[in-house]
Amino acid sequence: MTQEAGQRQMWHRAARTTAIVGGVFTVVFTLLLFANFLGTAVLGPAREKKLENMKFQFQKDPTQETLLSEVRQLDLKIRQDRLWRLDFSRKAAHLLLASVVVLLAAGKIANDMGKECFVPPPRADRGERQVAEAKRARWAVVGGLAVLVAGLLLLGMSGGVEFAQAQEEGPAFASMEDKRTQWHRFRGPGGAGVSAYTNIPTVWNGKTGENILWKSPVPMPGRNSPVVWKDRVFVAGADSDVRQVYCYDARSGRLLWKGDVPTAPGAPKLEIMEDTGYAACTMATDGRRIYAIFPTGDVAAFDFNGRRLWHKSLGLPDNAYGYASSLETYEKLVIIQYDQGDGSEGKSKVLALDGVTGQVAWEAKRTLPNSWASPIVVEVEGNPQLITLADPNMVAYNPANGTEIWRAECLGGDIAPSPIYAGGLILAIEPYSQLVAVNPTGQGDVTKTHIVWKMEEGAPDICSPVSDGTYVYLLESSDLLICCKVETGEKLYEQQIKGDYRASPSLVGDRLYVLDMKGVMRIIQVGPEFKELGKNELGEECYASPAFAEGRIYIRGTENLYCIGQTQ
Amino acid sequence: MARLARLIILVVVTLIPCLPVQGEIRFPPPEFESGYEFPQTVSPMPQPAFQEYIDAAVLFAGLLLASHLILKRRSRRAIFVLMIGALLYFGFLREGCICPIGAIQNMTLTVFDSNYAIPIAAVVFFVVPLIFTLFNGRVFCGAICPLGAIQDAVLIRPVAVPRWLESGLRLFAYAYLGAAILFAATGSAFVICRYDPFVGFFRMGGNWNILIFGASLLLIGLFIGRPYCRFLCPYGVILRNLSRLAKRRVTITPGECIQCRLCEDACPFGAIREPTGNWPEGEYRIAKRRLALFLLLLPVLVAAGVWSGHAVRNPLARVHPRVRTAERIYLEEAGKVQGTTNISDAFRATGQSTEVLYEEATKIRSQFGLGGALLGGFIGLVGAGKLIALSVRRRRTEYEADPAGCFACGRCYKSCPKEHERLRKRQEGVGRCA
Repeated sequence: MTQEAGQRQMWHRAARTTAIVGGVFTVVFTLLLFANFLGTAVLGPAREKKLENMKFQFQKDPTQETLLSEVRQLDLKIRQDRLWRLDFSRKAAHLLLASVVVLLAAGKIANDMGKECFVPPPRADRGERQVAEAKRARWAVVGGLAVLVAGLLLLGMSGGVEFAQAQEEGPAFASMEDKRTQWHRFRGPGGAGVSAYTNIPTVWNGKTGENILWKSPVPMPGRNSPVVWKDRVFVAGADSDVRQVYCYDARSGRLLWKGDVPTAPGAPKLEIMEDTGYAACTMATDGRRIYAIFPTGDVAAFDFNGRRLWHKSLGLPDNAYGYASSLETYEKLVIIQYDQGDGSEGKSKVLALDGVTGQVAWEAKRTLPNSWASPIVVEVEGNPQLITLADPNMVAYNPANGTEIWRAECLGGDIAPSPIYAGGLILAIEPYSQLVAVNPTGQGDVTKTHIVWKMEEGAPDICSPVSDGTYVYLLESSDLLICCKVETGEKLYEQQIKGDYRASPSLVGDRLYVLDMKGVMRIIQVGPEFKELGKNELGEECYASPAFAEGRIYIRGTENLYCIGQTQ
Repeated sequence: MARLARLIILVVVTLIPCLPVQGEIRFPPPEFESGYEFPQTVSPMPQPAFQEYIDAAVLFAGLLLASHLILKRRSRRAIFVLMIGALLYFGFLREGCICPIGAIQNMTLTVFDSNYAIPIAAVVFFVVPLIFTLFNGRVFCGAICPLGAIQDAVLIRPVAVPRWLESGLRLFAYAYLGAAILFAATGSAFVICRYDPFVGFFRMGGNWNILIFGASLLLIGLFIGRPYCRFLCPYGVILRNLSRLAKRRVTITPGECIQCRLCEDACPFGAIREPTGNWPEGEYRIAKRRLALFLLLLPVLVAAGVWSGHAVRNPLARVHPRVRTAERIYLEEAGKVQGTTNISDAFRATGQSTEVLYEEATKIRSQFGLGGALLGGFIGLVGAGKLIALSVRRRRTEYEADPAGCFACGRCYKSCPKEHERLRKRQEGVGRCA
């Protein structure tokens, strides 16, 4: 071996050794950085979750000094750890870069020095080879074009939204006209309890199955009423741990889907009166989505295929008997009357959530105590008004932005019955005391100017009134049906009808449908005099108000959901 | 040894993207109850205006020096040193911005949007390398481009890509150029910058996906010379076609070619063209018919491209943020997707109506109808042009650097025995004089 070759070999060996050392350092720094990355990815989120839970617990009880100290320590630890890891990552990345440079430089030198002399391989005839190569190249170009075309095809298959279709489908909510033909909330359009259809069955029997189109079990209990939108029927059920929304096929009674509504992590367990239950609030739909609220303050939206779109926790409401106000919708807003406490703490509010996103669209604070009445949206002289009741005020808001339109001080006590709009008047009940009629065309405080009349000869405690515009009917939960004139409030009759009542009465044409707790539906003639037309037994206890659709009644029993219609 | 190095590099390059992502971690400020006032957030100052003039001057000087080193001095070592210097300055120091590749988009937007004020540096960075290419070949690619430099630096064990395969793969660079121009012209996105595979390395942090993409290219680049430059670079497409017209270019040998084929082995980019041989008998007639067929096919391919490009206008338009927002809002409003995104939340916070948004998105889509058709037509034209070019017989009597594909890296003349002879003679001449 010549001296030059020996020197070359020595340099080659040196370069190779340097490359190996560079490689080892590279691997070491890579592994260190990877471990650091894993530490951040695994430890970080776990600690943050723990911190969030601790903060949540502390918010519930701000007097826990020990917990506060732990929160601070953990917060500091997380921050110190992150800063340390960032610093480590930065330094190690630079060292890694240096190692890679050494590895590459030494590797290149070692490769060049170790390269053997190039001996050109013998080749076939140049002309033939070039012709064959050009042929392959043409095919490669064709192949490249084919790949690009395939890419375009795949791109084309990804489709896209047709905005023209959006225009055809209309806005993200059903129109008022559509809502008037459906039972989209508690007691149907405007919360009035009035059916848009008159071809409703008058005879059925739950025991014999006469005119019972279908009967389906409801998995979990609840006192909320069915909501109907075209071919879908919705009810909710819950216990102390689980909250669910159920969607039934209106034609067959098949349970199409059920959706769970979660609660906030670490939320305290709710204890509620048995009479209210864990699913007292009736849901509402805007024709595109179905919304549910539970006494835990958990609100959720589902699409009609059962996909939960969003969930929001409003916090556990401070409510004496358990939260029970049902939801209302206006355009794509879902409206919640969230009255709490005794009114002095400023916890009460009416708020509207964007139905698409669940974000708060507007919020109106009020100094009113907890109530159980449900808000209604009605159209007064062409303008929408959101009517709410709580001791002592009836308050009207603009449902689009939450600004107050008018208020009347006319109520007292624990307000559970919901208002109705009939004969140009808002009719509201002060339990055990009076029925009040207010003209809703005023502005500001209308207590002295727009209260049209008061009927102070007793009123129901739970059931909401119903009216055909001429007569208004009040149903006491014991066994009394009262009929008054809408125009003057004059009491026309009061009639004892056997049974206990939780469901509010409903109106179908000139017939009144009154459902007692035993599941007996009495049908009563509308008019100035009492006349019972018939009664039908379901054979199951009922607390919820019935829902009406074309030719059908949907009744929720304690165990089952019934669809009543003409069987052929 | 080589196997071990390959293994180590494979592991490193694969894991590198895991690391700098930590730089993206942010966390909220602490919640003080003691009345502590947070210091006012200070934004970093923008770079001084003169910086872009310095960059332009460095580019110009670098190109002058590169031209001298490549064409006059013919020193591979000097070119390599200059290339590493450019990598450090334009890559790691200036963090890969601005570069001529991205400047394509600035120039395009200037043409299509009268409200867009293009930075002087962008014009200089786009135009100057083109002028140098017209005179001296691809000296920018060989010694100045930081993207080329980082790939050249990692090339350890070159493996030849079959020439026929290279012809097919190069189509993607043309498609990328067309798409980048389309997206820039419609104001949708600067995709070249967004998908710059190496900027994450220059900045020591960045988008996870892009880092993986860049790392993959570097991994491939260990064995295949400059894969991004050859098969993806949109600026490279322009330069390679201008280089065909260049007044001067790299010549392999200073004298007569002895056909030793050492340059062919030295070039890792497959840019050495061998002398042409005689075609087999009958091939000329077939070639003429084939050429005629491809000439007839040209309008068909262009028309097919126009139709395809127009057909995918809606998916293409999705690159535009306004269209993406409109689609998301529509899906949310129709209840077809779950939850909201930052984009949809931000849109709703503006209080704009969805109808106006849909109208705008529809208008942008119609722009993509025309743009998509032009893009498709361009790709069809390039494809047909390549088929035609591959059907034309060229004559070469000696080994020479491909006028379009040569990156002017200087490896070929470093390997040429004639060049060694020239250098030896020069040294002897210098010795005699001394």
